[in-house]
Amino acid sequence: MKKSTDLLKYESLAFFGKVNASISHELKNIMAIISETAGLLSDMADMASTENPVSPESLKSYTGSVIEEIQRGFNTIRQMNRFSHSVDTPITEVNLIEMIDLVIQLTGYLSFAGKAHVHNCGDSKPFVKTCPFLLQAVIYQALVNQFKNGGPGMETTVSVCSQDQSIWRVIFSDIEQDSAHVFPDDNTKDMAEAIGVKIICTANRLELDIPSSIETVS
Amino acid sequence: MPVENTIRILLVDDEEKFLKTVSERLSIKGFNVMTATNSDDAITAAKKEKFDVAILDLQMPGTSGSELLKILKTNHKFIEIIMLTGHASLDSAVECTKSGAFGYLEKPYDFDKLLTTLKGAYEARLKKKYEHNQKRTEDIQKLSLNSSSPLSFLEALARLDDGEK
Repeated sequence: MKKSTDLLKYESLAFFGKVNASISHELKNIMAIISETAGLLSDMADMASTENPVSPESLKSYTGSVIEEIQRGFNTIRQMNRFSHSVDTPITEVNLIEMIDLVIQLTGYLSFAGKAHVHNCGDSKPFVKTCPFLLQAVIYQALVNQFKNGGPGMETTVSVCSQDQSIWRVIFSDIEQDSAHVFPDDNTKDMAEAIGVKIICTANRLELDIPSSIETVS
Repeated sequence: MPVENTIRILLVDDEEKFLKTVSERLSIKGFNVMTATNSDDAITAAKKEKFDVAILDLQMPGTSGSELLKILKTNHKFIEIIMLTGHASLDSAVECTKSGAFGYLEKPYDFDKLLTTLKGAYEARLKKKYEHNQKRTEDIQKLSLNSSSPLSFLEALARLDDGEK
């Protein structure tokens, strides 16, 4: 586990910064919409006090927009909070479905992101004992690779299937490998290796084999 | 007629609500605004209509705002461009300025600042166009003095035509 701790200090810090930057970008967009809508309502109020009446439909539509954006802001802050807490414990048991769901939300803040859904192939909950932060980083990079290769309109499903009792396989659908976006890069390879994750990446296949417990990784 | 009524703006952002609200606010102020949610639509719109100023979001899916900036500056000689971003960095500001952006505003920004920047961009466009026209008039005068026949004058004039309407 020494290698994982070292990696947390270096490569992971870059990942943490990258995700936080994308979250702050999202929050700025939300604030910009709220600010502009408030400004527009103020402009409309000014107009109403002179000659132009303001329609109740317009008021309803714009206040509704502010409410929606505030909700979007709350959701973003909730994801930010979940992500920030992923560094609380170096090794812990996590639900893969929940983790992938969070990663999908986080990649959604990137301008080139397409759509992704998570799917559990089995009935049991896929728990793994791992370094959540590093695993999150590896899955994030895999999804980013998917979106970069597939373009903005792409949709992908991330399935979690049990291989045997010791391995969970994460399968990305609709693979379109582009040589311009090579996956995994060296940092991702190092992070995956540190937590015993095997990356299978070919022209039409992207899978991650995740050990049920990092303690079994030699 | 207020100056705002003569300014034609192309507003490009992938956030549709942002686009709708800003375009409505600018329209209330008297500007002529056309919107696009992506770079491809913006390029098509700029081919069909002539804009004085474009306001571009820096980060958009597909062709990014910084790439769109270069395309518009290459294809439309006098257009002035203001970049908007929620991801401001010194590097991107420098890159946009090098590519010819008139202004660079970070979201959320003060609307009055956008108005001031817009007017500044329009003035810059008028100045650039005036200087261009003045140089052209001088070139035509020189040509007419130096041409030996009306036909050679017309041929030289055609060479001066840069296609800008």
